[in-house]
Amino acid sequence: MALSLLFLPFVSALVILLFLRAKGNLASLVSVFTAAGILILSLLLLFNSQESSLVWNTTWFTMGSWELRFGILLDDPARLLLFIVSFVGLLIHIFSLGYMESDPARPRYFGGLSIFMFSMIGITLADNLIMIFVFWELVGFSSYLLIAHYFQTDEASQASRKAFIVNRVGDFGFLIGIVLTYWTFGTVNLGELADLADFSPSLITTGLCLALACGFIGKSAQFPLHVWLPDAMAGPTPVSALIHAATMVAAGVYLLIRIDFLFTEQALGLIAFLGAAMGLYAGFCALVQRDIKKILAYSTLSQLGYMAAAFGLGAPGLALFHLTTHAFFKALMFLGSGSVIHACHHEQDIFKYGGLRKRMPVTAGTFLIGVLAISGVNFLSGYYSKDAILLWAYNFNLPIFTLLYAGALLTAAYMFRLYFIAFEGEARSEHSQSAKENSLSMTLPLVLLAFLSVLGGYVILYPFNIGSYFAPDLSATALLPHHMWMVVLGTSAWIIGLVVARKLYAQVNQEDPLSRRLPGFFEICQSKLFFDQIYSFYVNKIQDPFCRFMEVMELLFISGLMVRGSAGVTALLAMLAKACYIGRVHAYAFWFMLGTLGFIIYSSGIFE
Amino acid sequence: MVLSRHPVSAAMFMIISLVGVAALFVLLESFFLAVLQVLVYAGAVMVLFLFIIMLLDVGPGASKINFSNWKTGLIGFGASCLLIFLLSALLSPGEDTLSFGQSWTVINNSTAPAPVDALVFSTDISAFGYALMTKYMLPVQISGFLLLAAMIGVIILSKRSGTPSSNS
Amino acid sequence: MLTVTPLHFLILAFVLFGIGFLGLLIRRNILLMLMSLELMLNGINVALVTFSRVGNNLDGGIFVFFIMTVAASEVAVGLALLVALYKKRKSVFTDDMALLKN
Repeated sequence: MALSLLFLPFVSALVILLFLRAKGNLASLVSVFTAAGILILSLLLLFNSQESSLVWNTTWFTMGSWELRFGILLDDPARLLLFIVSFVGLLIHIFSLGYMESDPARPRYFGGLSIFMFSMIGITLADNLIMIFVFWELVGFSSYLLIAHYFQTDEASQASRKAFIVNRVGDFGFLIGIVLTYWTFGTVNLGELADLADFSPSLITTGLCLALACGFIGKSAQFPLHVWLPDAMAGPTPVSALIHAATMVAAGVYLLIRIDFLFTEQALGLIAFLGAAMGLYAGFCALVQRDIKKILAYSTLSQLGYMAAAFGLGAPGLALFHLTTHAFFKALMFLGSGSVIHACHHEQDIFKYGGLRKRMPVTAGTFLIGVLAISGVNFLSGYYSKDAILLWAYNFNLPIFTLLYAGALLTAAYMFRLYFIAFEGEARSEHSQSAKENSLSMTLPLVLLAFLSVLGGYVILYPFNIGSYFAPDLSATALLPHHMWMVVLGTSAWIIGLVVARKLYAQVNQEDPLSRRLPGFFEICQSKLFFDQIYSFYVNKIQDPFCRFMEVMELLFISGLMVRGSAGVTALLAMLAKACYIGRVHAYAFWFMLGTLGFIIYSSGIFE
Repeated sequence: MVLSRHPVSAAMFMIISLVGVAALFVLLESFFLAVLQVLVYAGAVMVLFLFIIMLLDVGPGASKINFSNWKTGLIGFGASCLLIFLLSALLSPGEDTLSFGQSWTVINNSTAPAPVDALVFSTDISAFGYALMTKYMLPVQISGFLLLAAMIGVIILSKRSGTPSSNS
Repeated sequence: MLTVTPLHFLILAFVLFGIGFLGLLIRRNILLMLMSLELMLNGINVALVTFSRVGNNLDGGIFVFFIMTVAASEVAVGLALLVALYKKRKSVFTDDMALLKN
């Protein structure tokens, strides 16, 4: 049954892309029903397998004595991610029905969504590293396809290319990691690797797990490969919600969790530090953005940094928990922003919004719930996951805690800033004046996700053993000291953020007040630490000349020497042979006589 | 003949050579072949050659010999090498070379061994004809076809083609 | 007086063959090349008749008979070709026939 779960979206994608290219309505319905089918099948699967895990594999192909297996491993983290992917996926499909109803290229979009679901479920269910890699690449491809949905614009096509290439760089590291794993352990199967897991850390194993973590860095947009995620917002908003908030970027964290037994102390420390630094850095960047989706993108980067930090601190269960809650409230906020964008006729600058609360109450209300959740307001889902991470960090690694806490402050600040500028105050442009609430297909998912954002922190409510992976870590967290102090700190974090935001941003006009008050700080934050410039410098000044050099070498040696050289040798032989074929009869007689002479000499027996 | 300037003189010398060869045949007691040689070669073939010489009006400048070319010298040298080589191969004593030191005896009691199922040498034309009609029947028929083909070929080759450029 | 042995005949045959071959190589006039060919064939004929006589065998003579037949037809066809070629190229020299040159 798991196989049918895996291949159902693949079949749907094929059907859409082969037969339904012209029929938008039918394609969207096929895709939505596929998503519903995925949810039903995954629930059945989860319900049936009450035991710890489901393992199944078969041989895909063999090369001599080495065989590549194709298998399914459905254990605790897989169950959880499967639930998230299918549920959030279904909600986003329903949202897309409303959002994309006026788009002429709907079949392509829904086909891409189906391919994405196929590859994501593949990553979830895969049981060996190579299969994960295959589906990893497929996810990257579907992300490329979907970001470039509006490919007529330069921005979208360049963004999709950037996403794919940066992803590919990370995948290169991932591939090296797979090779190293096979070389060191002799297998790439996750189950067998888990059995081999108690080994003493060495340079090879540290390098190995860091190389595998390169895949995570590429896919989940961590430092230094984070540059693609903000640009990826050029795709349609539901795509951003599904892929770049809830699932694909979470695939990186999921990979880490799958291989967590391979990690050595040093590697964990490095990842924790990178994650915490990213959490802070993204917060600064988000504070000064104007585009609503880019703010949410940077917030995703920040939260992913939290997950990485949690993993690096030795609590992968907490990372997965935060992934779950983040999926809920981030998808909620992205869909909310999508609703706003749709209502304001694709205007994305928040300074052109304003006063939307009165005009779009459902959207504003659910968005507020999302903002509260991400800021860690008590008793919402985000509070439980974020504060658990902060508590763990406080107890084990104080510098990282400092970074994470500062990040939490910034999160609250920019999130409330977004809310105040977009939804409060007076309408600042004509579009937001004429905005009105959207149809049920768009508001229903919002409400459902808001519901989950509120309740998602209560692990007891999780059915079917889905939450069994992070239960141990959470109970360990409950036993940690400094609990009350952490509650105080967490609460103060979001209150400070709220106050700051209210002071600065309650009454704004077209420009950002921070740019007036702290212009230097504003400039630094806007520059995003010049990552884009560094990369383009590298590409233009270093990589391009190298490529041209390689091209010259290739022209010279491969096509010049080998290809045309071998042709030249043949031509030389041909010219020699051609010299015998002049029309003069005497030449023919000459050669004939020589041949006869040679034959006679040979047959006289000298050479025996 | 090979070195003469005018092709007609070459043809004349050729006729003399052919008649000489016929004389050699007589010396070797194959009289039928001698007559055949004169009739066919000296009579028909050389006449044909002379016809063509007259037709094409090949003048004395036509027999230029290419002495300046070094390749010709090489060719000549090679030809002589071939010759010498063959001669020496012949003259070297071996088991199954003919006994050249002695002259042959009269026909009736020749000491050379005759191969099995071979025809005994005789000067009679009837023996010749007998051999032609029994042992060599197939080649006779084939050479009949050959002559037919040659005739047809010659006729076709010398047909006047329809283009005006062939009018000489 | 020198006894005439078969060796002398054979030497003569080879000399005839060699002269014919030399003429074939040296000449540039196709007509004279054909004549040299005939000379070569005659040399072969002499050799064959010699072997026939020495081996007490009529097969050699019959072979000569066929060679003569074939030579005659070959000359006929060759000359017809030459005439046809002359009509095209207006020349009987091999230098002018070398179309494949370079």
